[in-house]
Amino acid sequence: MSDKFSDRDQNHFDWPLFIAAALIAVLGVINLYSATSVYQGARSELYISQVQWLVVGGIIAGVVAAIDYRHLERLGYVLYTFGIFSLTLVFVLSSGAANNVRNANRWIFGFQPSEFMKLFMVIALAKYLHDDPRSEGRTLRELLVPAVLAGAPALLILKQPDLGTATIHILIFLTIVAMTRIRWQSAALFFGSMIPSGYIVWNYVLLGYQKARVTTFINPEADLLHTGWHAHHARVAIGDGGLFGSGFMKGTQNQFGFIPDQFTDFPFPVFAEEWGFVGCTILVCLYGFLTVWGIHIASQAKDRFGAVLAVGATAVIFWHALINIGMAAGVLPVVGVTLPLFSYGGSSVMTMLMSIALVMNVSMRRHGSVPTPDRL
Amino acid sequence: MSLFVQRSDVTEFRKRFRFIALGMALMFLALLGRLFQLQILETDDNKAIARENIVRRNTLATTRGIIRDRAGKVLAASRPAYNIYVVPSRLDMTVVWPKLVDYLGMGLDERTRLEQHLLALRAEDGKRKEQQILLKEDVSRDAVANLSTHEAELMGTCGNKPCACVELVPTPVRYYPYEDVGAHVLGYMAEVDGDRLSTLRSSGYMEGDRIGVTGVERAWESYLRGTRGWEKVLVDARGRKRPGGEGIIEDPARTDPIPGRDLRLTLDAEVQKALDKAFRGELAGGVAMVDVRTGRILGLYSKPSFDPNAVSGGSGKQVIRDAFRRLYSDPLKPALDKTVSGAYPPGSTFKPFTALAALEKGIIGPHIITQCKGAITFGKRTFRCTHVHGATDLHKAIAESCNVYFYTLAAEYGLKMDDISLMGNRYGLGSRTGLGVNAEASGRMPTKAWMTVHNGGHFQLGFGLNATIGQGATTVTVLQLALAYAALANGGTLYQPQLVRAVETSNGTVVQEFSPRVRRQIDVHPENLKLVQDALRSGVNEEGGTANRAREAARLVGFDMAGKTGTAQVSHHLARGAEAEKVWYYNREHAWFAGYAPTKSPEVAVVVLVEHGGTGGKHAAPIAFEAVRAYQELVRDRRDGGSAKSGTGAGATPSPRHPRPRSGGGSP
Repeated sequence: MSDKFSDRDQNHFDWPLFIAAALIAVLGVINLYSATSVYQGARSELYISQVQWLVVGGIIAGVVAAIDYRHLERLGYVLYTFGIFSLTLVFVLSSGAANNVRNANRWIFGFQPSEFMKLFMVIALAKYLHDDPRSEGRTLRELLVPAVLAGAPALLILKQPDLGTATIHILIFLTIVAMTRIRWQSAALFFGSMIPSGYIVWNYVLLGYQKARVTTFINPEADLLHTGWHAHHARVAIGDGGLFGSGFMKGTQNQFGFIPDQFTDFPFPVFAEEWGFVGCTILVCLYGFLTVWGIHIASQAKDRFGAVLAVGATAVIFWHALINIGMAAGVLPVVGVTLPLFSYGGSSVMTMLMSIALVMNVSMRRHGSVPTPDRL
Repeated sequence: MSLFVQRSDVTEFRKRFRFIALGMALMFLALLGRLFQLQILETDDNKAIARENIVRRNTLATTRGIIRDRAGKVLAASRPAYNIYVVPSRLDMTVVWPKLVDYLGMGLDERTRLEQHLLALRAEDGKRKEQQILLKEDVSRDAVANLSTHEAELMGTCGNKPCACVELVPTPVRYYPYEDVGAHVLGYMAEVDGDRLSTLRSSGYMEGDRIGVTGVERAWESYLRGTRGWEKVLVDARGRKRPGGEGIIEDPARTDPIPGRDLRLTLDAEVQKALDKAFRGELAGGVAMVDVRTGRILGLYSKPSFDPNAVSGGSGKQVIRDAFRRLYSDPLKPALDKTVSGAYPPGSTFKPFTALAALEKGIIGPHIITQCKGAITFGKRTFRCTHVHGATDLHKAIAESCNVYFYTLAAEYGLKMDDISLMGNRYGLGSRTGLGVNAEASGRMPTKAWMTVHNGGHFQLGFGLNATIGQGATTVTVLQLALAYAALANGGTLYQPQLVRAVETSNGTVVQEFSPRVRRQIDVHPENLKLVQDALRSGVNEEGGTANRAREAARLVGFDMAGKTGTAQVSHHLARGAEAEKVWYYNREHAWFAGYAPTKSPEVAVVVLVEHGGTGGKHAAPIAFEAVRAYQELVRDRRDGGSAKSGTGAGATPSPRHPRPRSGGGSP
């Protein structure tokens, strides 16, 4: 099998994609070093284990990129089912147990299934849309199956409770749906139905602290000492950076402990304070390039599966970056969403590397003639 | 069937990629716009907040000025009081606690009480037991020494690591070495209460500050207090101090506190002690001793007194509460400064002024004689004398205190009430002296108009008779009378009373020196004044003089003093708070003695009031004699040993003042 793809693999390795991702990862590790330097002892070594994760993840990503993505198509629903099963398992294992971080039951065996579920969902959606080509606009009824494919994990994750990841699932789904041709009546109906469903989610699904984060976002100064504290100090840290930043390891907001969760949810303010608007622009442009490049790759995909896969994987990176920076900058409510390759964490790093690997995979196989499906 | 089914129908997606990419790029652009806003447009605001987060301005305590007497002895200073704080949850109750009890020298009661308190706190849930609590206030010096030497044994446990659980925190407390002697004039300190704080905040007071409440401490508060300093330090999000700060903290990073000004009083601590000693046989009253030549107050003594150390705090809130309860429940009114805040009828001590009024008016000459038959009837009333004086002239009337003589002045010679009150006023009686320390009573020199108004519109001539002998509505304060007698002694200069001689910096440099201030020059004919002065001398020194017996009883040799006794009747009513069997006490007359010494070129005027003391000659005069004698001995001692013992004072008095920060030193 390898000989069959080897020529394409080497010739069409997507260097721009790789370099952009590598640059972000390097900046991320450097930033992590500064972010955790406030701590004494074990936590100050976190950047080392981040490097380890990147190495391990990079190897796995290489493997994922090497295997033709069309193998994934066959496995699409299997992986999806496995993901849903894992999410359910989180419930079973955690009901009664207290292995939670901040009352959220997100972990099994040291991993967060909800992280990988994004990709499983993307693969499943890609498979569904691949198998369901249309030339006319779709009706809402025809989008029901994809909606269920996205809604099931989103609800499970929301119940963990993890508002941020659930939101990401929905946004990825919407991004993928945006690719398809939909009847305008259906689109109007869909957006019309957002209002009552939003009402239901607000009143019956969201938990107290999740609502508090949203209300704090709408009126941030009302509760500066509690819910608004994180958002406030993150924003101040960004602003403290100015044009050129205060320099590596010199951001006072971070060094004096005013940025909470500075190695998981809020690495961006640390970076922004130290490197200023110039550094932030470079970083946002890197994410922007990664995103646009990913969509570009998708547009050149040879099949529907590849196109949806590339868009979905790109959407994972895009929405994470947008929401994380947005919440740090105070334009989005604070929900626990990681910054791709910047936030510390095995599951997060792996997911992001896998996303890039999938885009790479599609990229490497967009050139030349479509390989004929043949014997196996 | 093949695995990779190629259904390359991507046309459905074709037009969408561009919009998706555009949408995503636009969202990132919007994000950059927001970052531009925060980091470029609003960066100054955010930088300011970030700076504010980590830079804290700590105030640096200042030291209150020292109050010294005229010889330099410390009357009021600050000392460190050590309070013990513990963290209940960290304290090992089986090992460390018994040691702590031992080192602090606690009694059994105190131990059980505190132990129960601590155990109750430790049993609680929540954060309270993690916080420091005040265990004991103002522990002894031995306990401080014990705790410092055995510090290592008193470690607590947090988790598995040892950490401090007992802390010794010094706080400055006002210290008055002479305790209750002269407490009224010095005053005391108290914590600023909430109401006053709102108005005082603008002048730099903060919660927990102490402020002078009475006496010199209050009147000279702004001088004594000093100015707080501050320094900027770096703190992290949890409020913990961080080292460094160069380049982060902008200058000025520190302002040193300015210590309060020291005061040099005119009072003499030794005189004060002598007054206290002289007053030992009496319950209540006051003494004022004034330098006749300057108006400077050498002694100002009020009894009963209180210990300002107890009310000024340091030894704990309970001690303060108890002290105040005693202060305000005692029927003898220890809180009242009887030298300036209480107005009393002067009785016969007023007679010299009546005599001067009559002489100056030309109503009488020195040689008119009145027959004293022990009483005089005027209208329907009989006005009594102490005894039958027989033929009495002015000299004898003052020296032997004949009431009838003075009644006659009003009844027959036509001395008007307004003449008397005018003469009183000229000598400063009936108006505030302007001492500026403690609330001053003005006293009263009643005029005809005043009496008419206050008697329902009817003026009775009998009022005038009472006024001649300083009874009725006439009241004066002890200090007023002392200054008036000083004016009699020095030939007619009425001085403004002076209590603070100089304001000094903490290293002894005089900032401001106050010279004596003359209130008024009283022009009476010298020959008239001479008549009164002679009579006053006789009152002490000649056979029959009202104070002569006391002088002889005191066996004073070569003692030279002039003065007048007074026995002022008090209005007979039940004093509030007095027990029935003690009512006789409150009905007794006030005993007065007012005089000056020596008779030739006088130096000091002294006025003694013994509240409900009985007759002036018996109860007040001896105190005055003893006081003057003590003063004279003091002056002689100082003169004799002057060269050898000059500069006694500050060094000689035990003053546990803690070292003040050197101004301008800079090192913290």
